[in-house]
Amino acid sequence: MDRAFAQDLSDLVELQRRARLDYYWDGLLRWQDLFRPLVDANPSLQAGGLARWFDNNAFYRTPQLVGRLEPSDGLPLPGQELPRPWVATLPSPYLFSRAIETDGDPNQLMEEVTELLLAPAARSAAAAGAAVVHLQEPWIGFHGIEPEDWPSFEAALRTLANGLEARLVLHVAYGDAAPYLDRLRRLPVDAIGVDLVETDYRSLGGEWTLGLVAGCVDARRSLVESVDETAELLRQVAEVARPPALFAVPNSELAFLPAPIAARKVTVVAEAAGRLREEVA
Amino acid sequence: MRALLTHEVGSLAKPGWRVRAYQEVAATEADVDEARRWGRRLDVPGHEELVELLQRGPVPRERRDEIRRWSSLYAVRLLESAGLDVVYDGEQQRSEMYDWAVSHTEGFERRGSVRSFDNKYYSKAAVVGPVSLRRPFHDDEFAYVRSVAKTDLKVPITGAYTIADWSFDEWYDRTTDLSRPLWERRADRRRARRDLVLGVARQVIRPNLESLIGLGARWIQIDEPGASTEPDELDLVCESFNASVEGLQATFSTHLCFSDYHLFFPAIEKMNGCRQFCVGFANYDSRELGTHAEQRPGYAVIAKFRDLPYRPILGVGVLDIHSDFIEPPELVRDRVLYAVDVFDDPARIHVTPDCGLRTRSWEVAYQKLRNMVAGVEMARRAIGV
Repeated sequence: MDRAFAQDLSDLVELQRRARLDYYWDGLLRWQDLFRPLVDANPSLQAGGLARWFDNNAFYRTPQLVGRLEPSDGLPLPGQELPRPWVATLPSPYLFSRAIETDGDPNQLMEEVTELLLAPAARSAAAAGAAVVHLQEPWIGFHGIEPEDWPSFEAALRTLANGLEARLVLHVAYGDAAPYLDRLRRLPVDAIGVDLVETDYRSLGGEWTLGLVAGCVDARRSLVESVDETAELLRQVAEVARPPALFAVPNSELAFLPAPIAARKVTVVAEAAGRLREEVA
Repeated sequence: MRALLTHEVGSLAKPGWRVRAYQEVAATEADVDEARRWGRRLDVPGHEELVELLQRGPVPRERRDEIRRWSSLYAVRLLESAGLDVVYDGEQQRSEMYDWAVSHTEGFERRGSVRSFDNKYYSKAAVVGPVSLRRPFHDDEFAYVRSVAKTDLKVPITGAYTIADWSFDEWYDRTTDLSRPLWERRADRRRARRDLVLGVARQVIRPNLESLIGLGARWIQIDEPGASTEPDELDLVCESFNASVEGLQATFSTHLCFSDYHLFFPAIEKMNGCRQFCVGFANYDSRELGTHAEQRPGYAVIAKFRDLPYRPILGVGVLDIHSDFIEPPELVRDRVLYAVDVFDDPARIHVTPDCGLRTRSWEVAYQKLRNMVAGVEMARRAIGV
């Protein structure tokens, strides 16, 4: 099993090297779902029943809180065996706090999860060489966020960002980010990711002061976008938003595609970004 | 139908000897022993013949159908031996519930495997042309199972919405240009989705149902584990179910699992062709004994099924199929009694596992099912039916 994982990771790294991506990521190949290694490493959490992963034919085990949340015994370091620079992927505090089964206050839980799990995991990843900590946030895209939750969410992100020796990215997926962009763009992170399958680039607004992570290919469809149309989309995004930094990524995780199709999408993203970079240069 | 009727939901694991035969390799000693042991235990007539076949080395390609039928027979006997009122064959003759359907349907091409949960993967296909039925793909299986089963049958078949949802669409929605306005892309997606789902319902599922009914099938369960994937498409789920069964003479039911079941309401009020909902709940429940609501958190939603206007039966899932935990009969009893209490009508309650038991070993599945039957007997005695 270890050999199979090692081979898969080696293939993934080679794909990224060939595509000339700027950052490597490990595809979370060993993670059964976005929470499990974090849950398994924490004595007060356990993996419960299966729940649907948003609107996908994929399931995760619901993290269940047993008693009060405690610090973890040892944290998984996603991607530490990758060439540098690499991206560490973690669940966003908002997502994690909403996914955990508890009768308690989810915003209080968000603070605790951030302090006891996510911030130590992010710092460990940065210490191990991660240049970017990429927080996946499909909850807000899919379910939305209550207005009264923003202050707690901002506080959690501030805790995460505090002293972090890596760029912090919050990536909203599986939904239209437009209704939340005003608040998202003021969060204490380095860049905001937007799912452009579900968000119209025209709604991004201009003069971004944060980096913009453009989810520019559909990671849930097998039809592969052309480099031409993807480059054109990125061009439009750059013109509308004028962000200080523009990153090109798939709109969400690539786990829903068979590996060969996922590989083609990665290549499209890289080539489209490369084309735009040449134009800017 | 009998009050507190027991049945399974669909799949059982494939025995090692069945898997090995399709891999064109010889059965291992353990496989042969498994065939012998279960053959004796379940009193499978002529099982020595299977054992001999397996001992001869790799099963020749031309004899694979025999292996499939043996596997089917073993599964029927396992379910009958466990004491279920209604059985099928654990889908032993199919490759898998989705793969079997798309492999026998025009318009699909395999694309590769994707993760479903934990480290379990499934093979996903893409729709690459108009969908249509090549030939009914459950007929041979049904004819065989009917010839060997001693009890009543319920045929599980994969529903239109789930087949569509578990497939990539490369035909009905072919645009990839994300710079088009969002409203336009969404409108195209909705239209394409509807064409695909109803196409599968009318061109694939319905002719299969007609054929099965022609062969004598009386109860057909249309599996829709994908039904709640897109909450804003539940009307389409209902429309496709009704389009599949409307006007056909049989009992039609559906199976739903691993969802937030609250999402189904009120949409399924329109699913009036559905006589029974078979739904997984144990996955969400506590293992504590008791018949009060606080002890049965996994079943909190069942009152909504009770209140559906067409008064369907609820097949209550009482076995967690993702765990080797063997539910004691007393726990099954309490889950059933709670459901009976909520419905105030035992005739509207059937008892089932949460889903197909294919992720469990036969030993675990058998023990779970036996305890389910024992628990139902305890519940029947408790309420005097």
